[in-house]
Amino acid sequence: MASARQLAAIALVAAAVPAIAQAPPPVTFTDAEVRRILSLGPWPPPPVVDPSNRVSGKAEAIAFGTRLFADPRLSTNGAIACTTCHQPGRAFTDGLPRAQGLARVDRNTPTVNDVGGQRWYGWDGAHDNLWAQSLRPLVDPREMGDGVAHVAAAVRTHGDLRERYVAVFGRPPPADDEVVAVDVAKALAAYQEVLATPRTPFDDFRDALARGDAAAMARYPQAAQRGLKTFVGAGNCTACHLGPRFTNGEFHDIGIPFFVEPGRVDPGRHAGIRRLGASRHTLTGPFNDDPVRAPGTSTRHVSLEHRNYGEFKVPGLRNVARTAPYMHNGSLATLRDVVRHYSDLPEDRLHADGERILKPLGLDRYGIDDLVAFLETLSAPLPRP
Amino acid sequence: MRFLRIAATGCVLAAAGAAVACGESLGGARTTVEGGKYTVAYTTSPAPIVVGQHFSLDLAVCAKGGVPAPQSVRIDASMPEHRHGMNYRASITSPRAGVFRAEGLLFHMPGRWDLTFDVVADGATQRLTSTLRVE
Repeated sequence: MASARQLAAIALVAAAVPAIAQAPPPVTFTDAEVRRILSLGPWPPPPVVDPSNRVSGKAEAIAFGTRLFADPRLSTNGAIACTTCHQPGRAFTDGLPRAQGLARVDRNTPTVNDVGGQRWYGWDGAHDNLWAQSLRPLVDPREMGDGVAHVAAAVRTHGDLRERYVAVFGRPPPADDEVVAVDVAKALAAYQEVLATPRTPFDDFRDALARGDAAAMARYPQAAQRGLKTFVGAGNCTACHLGPRFTNGEFHDIGIPFFVEPGRVDPGRHAGIRRLGASRHTLTGPFNDDPVRAPGTSTRHVSLEHRNYGEFKVPGLRNVARTAPYMHNGSLATLRDVVRHYSDLPEDRLHADGERILKPLGLDRYGIDDLVAFLETLSAPLPRP
Repeated sequence: MRFLRIAATGCVLAAAGAAVACGESLGGARTTVEGGKYTVAYTTSPAPIVVGQHFSLDLAVCAKGGVPAPQSVRIDASMPEHRHGMNYRASITSPRAGVFRAEGLLFHMPGRWDLTFDVVADGATQRLTSTLRVE
């Protein structure tokens, strides 16, 4: 592979290939910026298999999970399925600021694309594995249910579900409702693990940069290149949105108000860690199928701090143009609103506990356009009708 | 993501005498931090440290002449430029006298991190700091 300095020189040449008289100055990247760009790939990653889920990666479980994901019989009113909020045609989101199940919930529906292999799940990271995260809406009275009993009864009483359950887990549904419900969640997790976003125009640029292919790099729009330079350079967005998934998988306060309504706040990560500690459905608990409990390192060492109050998970940015509205409470309608938020950050609302991570980007409207143009290249183009 | 050693409070590289010997049993490429009373030598696994992934430390704490042997060590890390620490608390075991293993550490952001070793002996604590830059 070429050195970062050689690649930076190629980046300059590639930008100049389509030069025309009135074109803006070509985009150049420093050695450090090239390293950061390369660290945002390659894509896609290897398939995920979860050792805590004994049916992870198994075709029959994936097929069962696919059906369960769209099955409203898992909800207490028989009308709400996982797909009610995680709509496949909307990049597994619902387009609403805050999700609507049996009742309106406090947070925005996150996509389940690229959801496998994460360290924490949910805006507050209350779960350390995908099957526990998949169980939560099934038993939450605001979303689909009121406990594990309804889920277990649905599997036992509907012949098609029972038959598939036996095929996947090798035994009839046992008498313990919690065991059956966790198994259902593990089948749901097996399905979601295979939901991966496709390659994007950014990935083509990043790979072209890695192999020093100036002609291929030149096909990446100049506005996106300028936005990318802000993202990995002066904007320092890769402080949190790093790696091929564009997230560090952790939690930050970015100045979004955490009042749900007057007099009621969403504590975010602070409550998430407390819920994690109270849960039986963790990697350190009895439902982890991995006999050596190896993946539980994060749960055994996570530290509850006062600064966690009002922190929410850093979302990945792949497919981000398809998942509006944005932020944990869906309060920002468009990508442009998000970039404006970071450009005009209310510093007086930050650093309550002394953190100094964020600074306003101070972008003009052209800079905002460029950053939006870059973010849009993190989504694969939609097929033409 | 590369891990660059840029400095350590006191001295980065083992220079001479006891510092050269400290941590020899750890094997591999180790970083040595000199304090007034103690020398700390450590290796990381994985090496280099990867942002966003847990890592562990194997360390040796060596007392200088006439100083009490270390009884325990506390390990933490912070980003002084961001004014925050890690989101995880290291667990520490001691397989034998003067040798420790810390697990569960995680640097969740790139940049400068100060890794601190609080060496405790006879009711007194000496802090040694190793400054790292992870990208």
